[in-house]
Amino acid sequence: MSGLFPNLFHVARREYLVRVRGRAFLITTALLAVAVISLMLVPTILAATGVADPPAVAVVDEAGDLPVDPVTVVQGALAPPESDGADQPQVVLEDDPDAAGQAVRDGDYDALLTITRADDGEVAFEFLGSASPTNQTRQQVNAAAQQITVADRLNQEGVTPDQASEIFAPPTFVAVPIDPDDARNEEDFGGAFILAYAVVILTFMAILTYGNWVAQSVAEEKSGRVMELLITAATPRQLLIGKVLGTGAAGLSQYVVIIVAAVIGYVVGGPISEALGVSGDSPISLPDLGPTIVLTFGAFFLLGFLLYATLYAAAGSMVSRVEDAQQAAGPLIFLAIAGYFAAFSGLNDPDAQWVVVLSVIPFFSPYLMPARMLLTSPSAGEILLALVLLAATLALALWIASRIYSAGVLLYGQRVGLRSVWRATRVAR
Amino acid sequence: MSLVVDSISKRFGDVVALDGASFSVEPGRIFGLLGANGAGKTTAMRIVLDILRADEGRVTWMGSVNTELPRSTWGYLPEERGLYTKMKVGEQLRFFSALYGVPDDTARAEITDWLERFRIPDYFDRKVEELSKGNQQKIQFIAAILHDPAVLIMDEPFTGLDPVNVRLLKEAFIEMRDRGKTLIFSTHQMETVEELCESIAIIDQGRVIVSGPVRDVKRAMGRQVVKLAIEADGHGADWLGQLPDVDVTAEREDYVELRVPADRDPETILRAALDRGFRVLHFEIAEPSLEEIFIEHVGRRAVDEDEEHLATTAKEAAS
Repeated sequence: MSGLFPNLFHVARREYLVRVRGRAFLITTALLAVAVISLMLVPTILAATGVADPPAVAVVDEAGDLPVDPVTVVQGALAPPESDGADQPQVVLEDDPDAAGQAVRDGDYDALLTITRADDGEVAFEFLGSASPTNQTRQQVNAAAQQITVADRLNQEGVTPDQASEIFAPPTFVAVPIDPDDARNEEDFGGAFILAYAVVILTFMAILTYGNWVAQSVAEEKSGRVMELLITAATPRQLLIGKVLGTGAAGLSQYVVIIVAAVIGYVVGGPISEALGVSGDSPISLPDLGPTIVLTFGAFFLLGFLLYATLYAAAGSMVSRVEDAQQAAGPLIFLAIAGYFAAFSGLNDPDAQWVVVLSVIPFFSPYLMPARMLLTSPSAGEILLALVLLAATLALALWIASRIYSAGVLLYGQRVGLRSVWRATRVAR
Repeated sequence: MSLVVDSISKRFGDVVALDGASFSVEPGRIFGLLGANGAGKTTAMRIVLDILRADEGRVTWMGSVNTELPRSTWGYLPEERGLYTKMKVGEQLRFFSALYGVPDDTARAEITDWLERFRIPDYFDRKVEELSKGNQQKIQFIAAILHDPAVLIMDEPFTGLDPVNVRLLKEAFIEMRDRGKTLIFSTHQMETVEELCESIAIIDQGRVIVSGPVRDVKRAMGRQVVKLAIEADGHGADWLGQLPDVDVTAEREDYVELRVPADRDPETILRAALDRGFRVLHFEIAEPSLEEIFIEHVGRRAVDEDEEHLATTAKEAAS
């Protein structure tokens, strides 16, 4: 059997060009780029259209003898942590409940909180505004009401507000990471979490979409009978690997466009907000990732994609009609989805035993290991083991797939079962 | 040295596609592979091309086993035409040439040359799906020869072509032969074989029934065909049928066709006619046509098998 080059290159090049020049590819890529830029600009757009304006709440205090200032409490409950001025909520003390109620209906306020003293001596609250239980303002005002009631009851028991605030002061609690180099901190965690989701979703989409391209393209060559010509001109391995790499490169090109679009959206979001005079800072601060981590992510992504795509090619070679390719790839799709869901459950508890085990197992590691690397600190040994196992499985998959491929490409007829392919692999070259 | 197919067998599950088939092809010749549908021609070709491996037997070209020969030895025109329909003609042909390692400028020049020869010079930048079937077939032929293979293997190359394109393709065959190439093709069309092939093999049910130079195959039939026309008001057949070893195979309006064993001198018929005082208008000694040979071989075998089958059934019934 001859070597892989230069035919692998010719096959990959043809595959790439045909794919990238296709109208479907161009349109999809353009739409995705626009969608991603828009998504990154959502905070700015919301700020500019006023949807994200901080809430304005009116408070009418008819009790008059509260131990705490209700406006301050409500203000504190509504204000986002570490907010700076521009997005401070507006809480105003009003005298006339009817006028204030009218002002809410007119849209001058988002909500009105009326505080009264009930006959049994307890404080009573009435909230006028969105009644939806999930409404954020309602939940926050509810929390404020809770605080006011507790302070009021303590006051009636003879506890002064100063004593009360001492009692409820948060304890000193310091989290010390096991690995002192682990620079992750609380602020980074939100960003790391979102990035972990993004990595899992991007890997999943790449496997499903581009893997399917590979299977379709093999089935197309088979049903169009170009295969007979190809197989006399090149070896099954050249064809298989060339096809996987060419399609993969086309998929990667699409990803690069999407990522560039995301970066553009992220970068221009600030200046646009400033020009519009609104606060549209992205609420996410991305964690600082070193080049080693980025390269490791790349390795997991590529190896994972290649593993799935190789098997997709084998699946495509087993069917005679393009329509059947999806069906033949069924077990693979199942595996890809299983990995995806495992990763999603695993994100909530990245140190669980089963997550640690799955994160080194090929087919799952491309999802789980990068996610764990973002959220916790897997040891270098674990990462290396996952990579080695993944690479070894890829080599094995290439060997098996090229046998299935060379046997499958000339088996025409109804759906080819795995068993008949296996028989054929033993007699074919 | 030549292409030698040495008793190859191949089965797919329970189906025997080839059963010890052997034939050989002299280099620089055009060779015809004849057989009914499902006889095993395509399987034989695929085994020669090393797309399939035989269960038994082997194939050699110039003394080397085919599995060790470079792929560029062969040019292949498959029975089910296969091209990328959405690719442009030129780009596609350059791609296939590149797979065989042909430099791109050589490929371009050759493609332009062949497109002109096939009278479709403007098709370089046309998508294959826009071409007629006949023209796609020409592109398929060009794809098979661009890398200048020593042996061209073509499965039913003339099927679905109009007479003009058949003519063009035949000319291309002869040109390739004159360049020293060896051509092997399968077909149902006996006239084409008579016209082009020096040698043939007839395959039936996975076995080679007859093979060799067309002349020898015809002689091996062991009979000659005589066409005789006499001025006798159509009463010729009666006395002709009474001549020893002579069979009247056809009585036409203006002549009679006779079959004579190979060892008998056909001129005795001419003499007999003259002796009876007839005026002979036409006397021709011919060999049986390939059509006849094919039908006789393939048809008789089918009958043989039926008889065998009957015999075994009878035996089973008796026991």
